[in-house]
Amino acid sequence: MQLQNSSSKPSDVLVQADLAQENSEAIAIETIQTWIVNQLAKQLSLSAPSIKVEEPLTRYGLDSIDSVTIVGDMEDWLGVDLPSTLLWDYPTIQKAATYLVQEMNIAPGAIASEPETPVQPTKETVGKWSLWGRGK
Amino acid sequence: MHPPERSMHPLKQYWLAEELERDLGDPCNPESVMSFKQVIELDELEAFPEAELTWLYNWKLHHYYIPTNCGGEFTSFEEFIAFVRVMSRRDLTTSISFTTLFWSFLTWMAGTDEQKQELAQFMKDMSGAMCLSYSERAHGSDLLAGDVTATKVPGGYLLNGEKWPINRATISGVTFVLAKTDAEAGSRSLSLFMVKKAELDPATYSNLPKIKTHGIRGSDMSGIRFDDCFIPEKMRLGKEGVGLELALKGFQITRALCAAFSQGAADTALRTTLKFTLGRQLYGKTVFDIPHPRRTLVDAFLDILICDCANIGAGRGFHVVPEQFSVWSAVVKYFVTVTLEKMVQDVSVVLGARYYMREEHDFGIFQKVMRDNAIISVFDGSSIVNLHSLILQRRHLAKFRARRDAQSMEAIATRLQTTFTLDQPVPQFAPERLELFSRGADDVLQGLEIALEQLQALEPPDLEPEVLEQIEALTHAVLAELNAQDDFLGTAAFEHGHDQSPESFELAKKYCTLHAAAACVHMWLHNRKTLGEFFANGRWLALSLRRLLVAVNPALDLPPRLDDEPLAQELLRLYGEDRMFSIVPFQLAKSEVQENPIHAITELQLQAQ
Repeated sequence: MQLQNSSSKPSDVLVQADLAQENSEAIAIETIQTWIVNQLAKQLSLSAPSIKVEEPLTRYGLDSIDSVTIVGDMEDWLGVDLPSTLLWDYPTIQKAATYLVQEMNIAPGAIASEPETPVQPTKETVGKWSLWGRGK
Repeated sequence: MHPPERSMHPLKQYWLAEELERDLGDPCNPESVMSFKQVIELDELEAFPEAELTWLYNWKLHHYYIPTNCGGEFTSFEEFIAFVRVMSRRDLTTSISFTTLFWSFLTWMAGTDEQKQELAQFMKDMSGAMCLSYSERAHGSDLLAGDVTATKVPGGYLLNGEKWPINRATISGVTFVLAKTDAEAGSRSLSLFMVKKAELDPATYSNLPKIKTHGIRGSDMSGIRFDDCFIPEKMRLGKEGVGLELALKGFQITRALCAAFSQGAADTALRTTLKFTLGRQLYGKTVFDIPHPRRTLVDAFLDILICDCANIGAGRGFHVVPEQFSVWSAVVKYFVTVTLEKMVQDVSVVLGARYYMREEHDFGIFQKVMRDNAIISVFDGSSIVNLHSLILQRRHLAKFRARRDAQSMEAIATRLQTTFTLDQPVPQFAPERLELFSRGADDVLQGLEIALEQLQALEPPDLEPEVLEQIEALTHAVLAELNAQDDFLGTAAFEHGHDQSPESFELAKKYCTLHAAAACVHMWLHNRKTLGEFFANGRWLALSLRRLLVAVNPALDLPPRLDDEPLAQELLRLYGEDRMFSIVPFQLAKSEVQENPIHAITELQLQAQ
């Protein structure tokens, strides 16, 4: 492979690099789509296969503010700031995931492997105010 | 710090309200502008308060709706709230009709320099007024379902459809119209237009008849209809498709400010009832000397003080944390208006049959206040709309709170200091920082642990140990209730959309009450040295926290109610000195006729000794 690569014309290298990039993009888009689908399935008590990535989210009973708060969940997961109107401008799971990867350059490496942290019971430590978290 | 000669409040953001009070005069005097007699007569005639509005324009009050960087005098929402209270304690019909000017914030937020200049000139040079054309007969609060369309044509759009019910739809020169520009674009289907009626072909629009209403009967409550009405492209605010976003952000401003209408109404309800109790003798003493009515009025006073802390906090918070107002505004619009509606009902019992009479005591102002005030919790986003908006954000509030760390707590502490310290300046309001969603942030409740730390650092002897102990214990109880709610939400199923359970609405109401309680604690901690002896003592705070916690959880084992006699005395003092019932008791117009208050006060003080 190395020999073949090293003997390749520069244009072939570019094509392969493009292919590799397309592949990683496809994986990233797929990862984001799967996460949103699972998130919605959980929150809407639907089965994941019943949620189609190419359908507008409003089809699943979400209103405008719901869409905004889902972006909040995505920010928590991805660890990046996103436009709160992301799902208004890209109203299907597929469009939103594609935008994030292709326009905001969110790469697989940037995606945390852990699922979203569930809401913890109130923490005992909030800096120097920790002693006051639980009453007298 | 006191200005010479006049007894103006040390906080200069209240001077405008005091000047307006002085110039309007005692509302009990029939000769005053917006006197109770006059506004009752207008109400009976269901007449639009034309002369009263003209007086306000001549006074140049409309300049205080235009930010200084757009050529006006507006600098502070705290000042704004104070002068709206001054108008509203006289007449909500006039106050609401005048204050449709606050829709100009849509342009200050989203307009081009040219649009801002045009609107400022319209307001200042032409004494212009405006209305908000969002609602439609068939669609309630569902803005995206609207049927009014704006179809693109060369140079502009053709508007078609009907907006109803719209306050000042007929008597206004500008209307902000939300219309569909792309039916397929979901949340991006709407665009917002600042429509100057003078530039329209009169044949293409018409006004709908005045709607007869229960309260604010003189209002121009009507509608507007468009039939292939051409509007030039320059009337669009922002880009095509941003209508809903601008509408929701604009509501964040106006919903919180609506609370000031209720606060003005509440002052009059309490003042006229107190006047009645002081002047009326029953069973050998004044009504105010009878325990039950006195307790009712003291509790009403507490309600006003609580709402002050929430709303003045929000007024200042706009300048500090505008990005959190998807939460703060919903809390204040729900909590203040509903609390004060109930307060007015509570004191009506003391007034007895007279509350129902359209004449008698103070020209029958009470029944008008009650009718007028009842619309505040409904318009501009009803209680249900505000609670629903909170429900959708509630899970994020819990999540954000669980994640706070030492660094974010330091930042919250700094912001709370600026927000709640009334003698500190606030930054200029930056509407571009408004966000559709606070991302879970709410400094007021998320800073409760900070408040507890500060309480712990306070020491008698400048405070009564019993009062301080109660404040601490009750603040802990507020925190415990919040913790319990957050813990519950961590395990509860979450619903999207519009089928939220009635239980979710109850939780959201409790969140609002806890937010108000926390606002009271912050307000006290940051102003103990500047708002006078009564405020500093903190007894009002302990009583307020107890009152709020009883509402949140009646089963709580709370400390006993402190003696409220000092509150009764403060209420009498503010009444006797013609000061606003408020944590900032600024000077009102001097009353010219008092019915035996001195006698009653003396008698009460003797009893208290």
